[in-house]
Amino acid sequence: MGLGLLASRTLRSSSRIFHNNGPTTHFLRTITSTPDLNNADASASAVQQPDLPPRNPVGGARVHFPNPEDAIEVFVDGYPVKIPKGMTVLQACEVAGVDIPRFCYHSRLSIAGNCRMCLVEVEKSPKPVASCAMPALPGMKIKTDTPIAKKAREGVMEFLLMNHPLDCPICDQGGECDLQDQSMAFGSDRGRFTEMKRSVVDKNLGPLVKTVMTRCIQCTRCVRFASEVAGVEDLGMLGRGSGEEIGTYVEKLMTSELSGNVIDICPVGALTSKPFAFKARNWELKGTESIDVTDAVGSNIRIDSRGPEVMRVVPRLNEDINEEWISDKTRFFYDGLKRQRLNDPMLRGPDGRFKAVTWRDALAIVAEVMHQIKPEEIVGVAGKLSDAESMMALKDLLNKMGSNNIFCEGNGMHPNADLRSGYIMNTGISGLEKADAFLLVGTQPRVEAAMVNARIRKTVKATNAKVGYVGPAADFNYDHRHLGTDPKTLVEIAEGRHPFSSALKNAKNPVIIVGAGVFEREDKDAVFAAVETIGKNNNVVRPDWNGLNVLLLNGAQAAALDLGLVPESDKCIESAKFVYLMGADDVSLDKLPDDAFVVYQGHHGDRGVYRANVILPASAFTEKEGIYENTEGCAQITLPAVPTVGDARDDWKIIRALSEVAGVGLPYDSLGAIRSRIRTVAPNLLELDERQPATFSTSLRPEVSQKVSETPFTPAVENFYMTDAITRASKIMAQCSALLRK
Amino acid sequence: MILNTFLLETSFSFFLHCRAKQTKKSFAKMAQMARSMRVPPNSTSLSEAKKRTLEFFRMCCRSIPEIMDIYNLYDVVTPSQLRSAVASEVRKNSNVTNPKVIDMLLFKGMEELKNCVDHSKQRHHLVGKYVVGNQGLVQDLGHKDQGISNFLKNFYSSNYF
Repeated sequence: MGLGLLASRTLRSSSRIFHNNGPTTHFLRTITSTPDLNNADASASAVQQPDLPPRNPVGGARVHFPNPEDAIEVFVDGYPVKIPKGMTVLQACEVAGVDIPRFCYHSRLSIAGNCRMCLVEVEKSPKPVASCAMPALPGMKIKTDTPIAKKAREGVMEFLLMNHPLDCPICDQGGECDLQDQSMAFGSDRGRFTEMKRSVVDKNLGPLVKTVMTRCIQCTRCVRFASEVAGVEDLGMLGRGSGEEIGTYVEKLMTSELSGNVIDICPVGALTSKPFAFKARNWELKGTESIDVTDAVGSNIRIDSRGPEVMRVVPRLNEDINEEWISDKTRFFYDGLKRQRLNDPMLRGPDGRFKAVTWRDALAIVAEVMHQIKPEEIVGVAGKLSDAESMMALKDLLNKMGSNNIFCEGNGMHPNADLRSGYIMNTGISGLEKADAFLLVGTQPRVEAAMVNARIRKTVKATNAKVGYVGPAADFNYDHRHLGTDPKTLVEIAEGRHPFSSALKNAKNPVIIVGAGVFEREDKDAVFAAVETIGKNNNVVRPDWNGLNVLLLNGAQAAALDLGLVPESDKCIESAKFVYLMGADDVSLDKLPDDAFVVYQGHHGDRGVYRANVILPASAFTEKEGIYENTEGCAQITLPAVPTVGDARDDWKIIRALSEVAGVGLPYDSLGAIRSRIRTVAPNLLELDERQPATFSTSLRPEVSQKVSETPFTPAVENFYMTDAITRASKIMAQCSALLRK
Repeated sequence: MILNTFLLETSFSFFLHCRAKQTKKSFAKMAQMARSMRVPPNSTSLSEAKKRTLEFFRMCCRSIPEIMDIYNLYDVVTPSQLRSAVASEVRKNSNVTNPKVIDMLLFKGMEELKNCVDHSKQRHHLVGKYVVGNQGLVQDLGHKDQGISNFLKNFYSSNYF
């Protein structure tokens, strides 16, 4: 409609004369003249442009233009789309909203181009091109739905299915198999193969990855993943032609901590999860988006559960933290949730054996004992897997009883919780990609935080960054220089006497990562002071770049320090008469007096219950909604995937009920109320899924006169597979630590 | 053998005697009730309606032992608890001032009492209406649970509330 028509319509409606609003008025049309009618050429070009509906990129992705001037235009199925220079034809089609089928292409791996499923027709090309490998040139006309492209796809699918066994009923990948989906969508309806299919012998890759190599379509995704992302060159392609086999050639297990990710990557059922084999089909499972708490990275996961049981754990996409990968511990700990669970409140009788009691009795006894103890002899210990709400409730309860002796496992007895920049990863996990020199102090990221290690490896491979490591001998999957084993090396680097100091000085974005194992040392302050001196000398902390990082070990440490769980006296365990362990299994109770009354509130009967007098069953992180902060300061929330076991309750609810029975009622009744209490203490914990950087840098710390000691750094994590209550109770983790530990 | 039969007879006659007493009592009650039914259900003033209410309440309290015997409520509730339950039901309508409405309510009350005494109801009807209060089994709400908050009550029962 031209403007004139609209104008005349408004004139008509604003007229005061009564109009007979019958059907005849719709055909009344005012005669106007538009410039298009007079101009013949304009109308001709307007007709050529088809009225195409707007198209969004596949999956709602956003396109990033590094140089906006360098954008080129291509035509996908007649639709013009602007893409940055250097994108392939497949990526251009993705931006245009067309999903091209593929098997060997993966956005995070290098391009192989051997499956040929992504063939599309490009004008002026004699044969269809592999869109994943062909760079998009300006003015290219790409056609994805012509008969040539369709015939190509059907042909490729027919070839792939020729040697593929008829395993769908017994294959675990059924229901989520790329081959099944793409053959239904793009394959022909019948096959013409009448000869014998070939079969391949299965390879043993360990207790985690089940291999049925007959189903392999030789896409080489696993080979590229193992060599590029995981850094272990275990897998390779042997042979040629139809006799190609993927394997390790020698009898070798996949010992990498990222080996479970090949299960997600494999498009067919050749590599599947061994613990999950034959357990469930993917359509029976309910997925709950949650966070992993077995280490401090906070990888995003999806917990697939069937009824009251967790069946498997799969990664979720989060570009900033874990991309699309999760470590083996995260992927396979779930069977520990079914063993050694506490489900009833228990009281230790006079004969030393535990007896199940009701909640009323258990809470009444604990409250009574709490009132008989002097306030400074009450101690609270928060465990590795505690969420922010329960730590807040515990601190409030202890403060109301008059005691301030509360700390979190792993933080040591003198944590410095004043400045947030002193205990989080200031660069951010995704910020590590911009670094070009790393100094790792007392930390082995491969076993402490596997996703951070993957990010460092990605940076080292992309920009050839230099990595210097101070600590005990450990193995890394990238090139590094072992500078020393004790803090004296740090002092040398700070004073510039060490050869590595020049590498740090010349780097544009240097990064120093200190491990949380340093918190337990006596010369902790001196070590941090030395690190800060290195930082000052090499311009590590600037307004736009903060390279001083602390890599934490547990999921609860960052939130504990944010909420202020700092003990009043460091000798509190020696003089304690009442100890409240909230999931704390790794705190050493050797110096505890024998007549101390210990309450253990947790979900597994791990080390903490051996000394306990009362057991209060709590829920695990898969059964409760809790806020966890990861090592870079990003608060995330877990959601309940399965119901709690037996008579267990949520941690904060137990503490709130205990406070009421003891007479010192805490003022919150619901999750929202306890979160508003957290808002008064640490409001950054309520900004979910956004990294909250620290406001002040560590340059405000006072001077330290202590000298570094000569004791070498010790590894903080001895066994990667068994670090906390859930993993210690898991059978799969036990198998892994027996077979796969180097 | 003779002694046994003699004992049996005496016990049986004693039993009959007791039942006779009871039936005499219940006959008296039935007559009372029939009498009250015949009274024209029009109270002239509020005070007469009040008198009739108290008379009704007394009748209920007197028939409570018989009700407990018929439906075997000895393990579940005590007579004083039943009296309190009836009293609370009467007190629920204490705000009514219209004598005609009070008469109607008394009529319904008499009907309910008649049904209970005639064994027209069953045990679960009575237990559901008069024994289990609004907050659960009357005897379970012991003195120790009076002062606790809703949070604690829900916490003791389950994790999800």
